Amino acid sequence: MITYKLVNDTELNTVCSITKKIDGTEVMSIPLVDDNTDYQEYLEWLAEGNTPEEAD
Amino acid sequence: MAINLNAKTTGVGGLETSADNSGEINIQSGGTTVMNVTSSGVAVTGSFSQNGAVYSTQPTFRNLIINGDMQIAQRGTSATGLTNGDTGYHTVDRWKFQHTGTVTYAVTMSQDTDVPTGQGFSNSVKYDITTAQSSLSAGDSLLFSHYFEGQMLQHLKKGTANAESVTLSFWVKSNKTGTYTTELLDADNSRGISKSYTIDSADTWEKKSLTFAGDTTGAFVNDNNTSLALIWWLGAGTTFTSGTLATSWEATNNANRVSSSNVNLADSTSNYINITGIQLEVGSTATDFENLPYDVQLARCQRYYYHLTDDTSSELVGAGYWGTTTSARGAVYFPVTMRTSPSLSYSSGSHFKALIPGVAFATSTAIAIYKNSEASSLLSITTSGGTTGQGTHLEFYSSPATTTYLGFSAEL
Repeated sequence: MITYKLVNDTELNTVCSITKKIDGTEVMSIPLVDDNTDYQEYLEWLAEGNTPEEAD
Repeated sequence: MAINLNAKTTGVGGLETSADNSGEINIQSGGTTVMNVTSSGVAVTGSFSQNGAVYSTQPTFRNLIINGDMQIAQRGTSATGLTNGDTGYHTVDRWKFQHTGTVTYAVTMSQDTDVPTGQGFSNSVKYDITTAQSSLSAGDSLLFSHYFEGQMLQHLKKGTANAESVTLSFWVKSNKTGTYTTELLDADNSRGISKSYTIDSADTWEKKSLTFAGDTTGAFVNDNNTSLALIWWLGAGTTFTSGTLATSWEATNNANRVSSSNVNLADSTSNYINITGIQLEVGSTATDFENLPYDVQLARCQRYYYHLTDDTSSELVGAGYWGTTTSARGAVYFPVTMRTSPSLSYSSGSHFKALIPGVAFATSTAIAIYKNSEASSLLSITTSGGTTGQGTHLEFYSSPATTTYLGFSAEL
């Protein structure tokens, strides 16, 4: 199952990237950039009503 | 009309001339014009050479395809068990394994060394069926595809009265003879055109050439996103085959996308297909495959994917600083500007380490993008033992060197 977790910029405490997990294993770090197809997939996942894990 | 200067090749030979007042001269050999001179210039038919060096009469970079000879495979040379949910890039750069529906077949996709003899190729791409699906459900398919940015296609003048036709040529070999379909799919305007071809002889390399008419409707958006897909349909359910093949551009209608006679390559574990020498060029003629130097082809691929691996054990990732005592950062500069800010894939979050100056290295438990652009990426590893603000650099953790990597993807 695919899930996502937010990653914070530790200095500004804002989200700087998103970690993609497959069956709980981290496999990819995704920038918040509209042209990035992995970010587009994340937005589709959100639109399906899913919620990412909060950042640590 | 023109003045002809003909070197005769019959009888006793000699120079034959004709005269008119057109101001045009044809230089002929045996009645065949090899050079035509007019007030607007000189046209040469055939090759043109100087001191034995033959000049190409074809424009460079005419091939719209990147890595059409399959020589670049940054991610690896083989991916096994590709099946439902595995749509994506796995082996040869820029070439996508793709499916629709909920498929049960499995494919090994590889960079192969089987190539047509004497054509100058070193590699082909191979789909080898390892789990068969004898019958595809209506929405199922097996695809091999290439995606193009809109800004790479503006010279096709799509959506204008001067829209250019394009010709696709490629070499193909399969045990499974029969009808196959290729499609150009306009993602900006939801339009498409398909052409079928046949593989005539089993286990034999054949060259195919297909010309697609220009489309006067629907311009490609001039940006860095997908405008066009080139798709090989290697199997398709009735959702895609039940209509009449769209051999002219039309609004996308799934039923018309694939020939009703299209084979199902996935129907037996004996089946395979190899493809190489793929060229898509403006015009209605398939010219010789345009060979690019390896470094040029690699750089073109790296616009979409950059693979950094631990070739020598503990190879440098990038210099940086300790952001906190548990977070070390290092910058990676990409060799070419990427299409967009890339995603980062990696072998494992624990495959990296950061220098603690004067002490040792601290190994990672996770890695993530901290800052990113089309030109560089600042990576952050989660670790321990650092001093905030102190300089550092990130390295690959030496074991296992052969499978440790970072992959930056800006694919379409």
